[in-house]
Amino acid sequence: MLNYVWISLLLIGIFTAAGRDIADEVTNPYRNGVPLNARIEHSSRSASLHPTYDGVLLIPASDFAAFYGVAQGSDVRQPVTVTTLASGAMRLEAPVGDATPGFWKEMAKAAGGKERLEGSVTAFDPATGNVTVVMERVSFVKIRAVTKAAIEYADVAVTISLGLIGVMALWLGIMKVGEAAGLLEALTRLMTPVTKRLFPDVPPNHPAVGAMIMNIAANMLGLNNAATPLGLKAMEELNKLSPKAGTATNAMCTFLVINTGGLVLIPATAIAIRAGVGSADPGIIIGTSIFGAGCATAAGLVAVKLLQRLPRYKKELEPDPAPEGKEA
Amino acid sequence: MAELFRSVINVMSAAAIPLFILVFLGWGLVKKVKVYEVFVEGAKDGFNTAVRIIPYLVAMLFAIGIFRASGAMDVVVALLSPVTNLIGMPAETLPLALLRPLSGSGSMGLMTELMKVHGPDSFIGVLASTMYGSSETTFYILAVYFGSVGIKNTRHALPAGLIADLFGMLGAVFIVRILFGV
Repeated sequence: MLNYVWISLLLIGIFTAAGRDIADEVTNPYRNGVPLNARIEHSSRSASLHPTYDGVLLIPASDFAAFYGVAQGSDVRQPVTVTTLASGAMRLEAPVGDATPGFWKEMAKAAGGKERLEGSVTAFDPATGNVTVVMERVSFVKIRAVTKAAIEYADVAVTISLGLIGVMALWLGIMKVGEAAGLLEALTRLMTPVTKRLFPDVPPNHPAVGAMIMNIAANMLGLNNAATPLGLKAMEELNKLSPKAGTATNAMCTFLVINTGGLVLIPATAIAIRAGVGSADPGIIIGTSIFGAGCATAAGLVAVKLLQRLPRYKKELEPDPAPEGKEA
Repeated sequence: MAELFRSVINVMSAAAIPLFILVFLGWGLVKKVKVYEVFVEGAKDGFNTAVRIIPYLVAMLFAIGIFRASGAMDVVVALLSPVTNLIGMPAETLPLALLRPLSGSGSMGLMTELMKVHGPDSFIGVLASTMYGSSETTFYILAVYFGSVGIKNTRHALPAGLIADLFGMLGAVFIVRILFGV
């Protein structure tokens, strides 16, 4: 199923982006090629052959809103520079800042994440300040965003993975000592009545059980830094029991669902953010979150136990009939 | 009562890691384990495990990144909102419910945004933070946990995980409607 979900995410993403960009080409929301009339308030008056003017571009809010078809609260007062090129053509440059209307910020971002917006001036009268400008072309916004996201997220994945090295090493070290001291085994024996029901395929005194118990305990207490390494340790132990390399066993799926259910006694992140945005009672969601996560975990466990009986999932776990002589 | 529960859990969370370390290493010492040597021996695998995850996480996150950047979420929200309206789930919270299994940081941003706009103690604010607390980032956990041991065929883990997410969101709507309902 993961294959299909994964490719669907990609295909839906790319086709939606392309569809939206094509729609943009037709409806032209960025008004590509359409001249915009405005006034520039400027003080510099240059007598040179290629004059440069620094000033403020003034557009009444209603004009801006009508031109782009977006809501605009206040009159636009955008600092701009008008330069004359050697060819005699004039260009307008608007650095993106606090005074920039939200829609232009979006356009600058869409035009390649630049810090300024450009346009070509078709008419400018320095005496009155009246100006007619065609803003730069903005197109294929979503396709560009998709390209950027693909590369950025690949980078994020590596950052996250490498960030795990330290805590992984720490917890694997502690676990190894616990194992050598026989502590993990003691913990495992204590929880046998529960774990033998949840993970019938795992021998009750297997080290995997100890790691899973510690992972679940760390999760409940909201110790994410400890929970992931302990969970990965548990996966490693579970993998030793797997009859077929590269395939998830029933115990692994059950363990994963317990983790994705996300049962936490104190949802610390949500509470911290609630307090941050000025809640009168940030902790009010403790009970409701435990209820919600309880529903998730219970439903997940029922689902995982029912799904593992389906013939198609059973078949996937059977060792290959004719194992190929793969090189290690 | 709720206050007491909260402070007990807070103390437990704060003390848990030092306690783990103390008990595990201390017990090792009692049992005459060469604690330092064994610790280092175990810690050695940390690097390999982390590196093994990379390809799985890259595959997962870049697909999620493309999906999010394309704006496809708006389309899915438009398709699903008639159904969620029926069960009394505000349309504003639907993107959060959909994003929760895909992206932890993304759904955190959405939750914050919803609370800023509607107020953290409003129905939508409480629902948004409950939803966030009612599930985990299924796709991320799937990639990391299975990636660490090289599992490519995840069998029924994803459907079961998504069913869990669905019920987590439904449970959140149900309980918040009952306790803080409009």
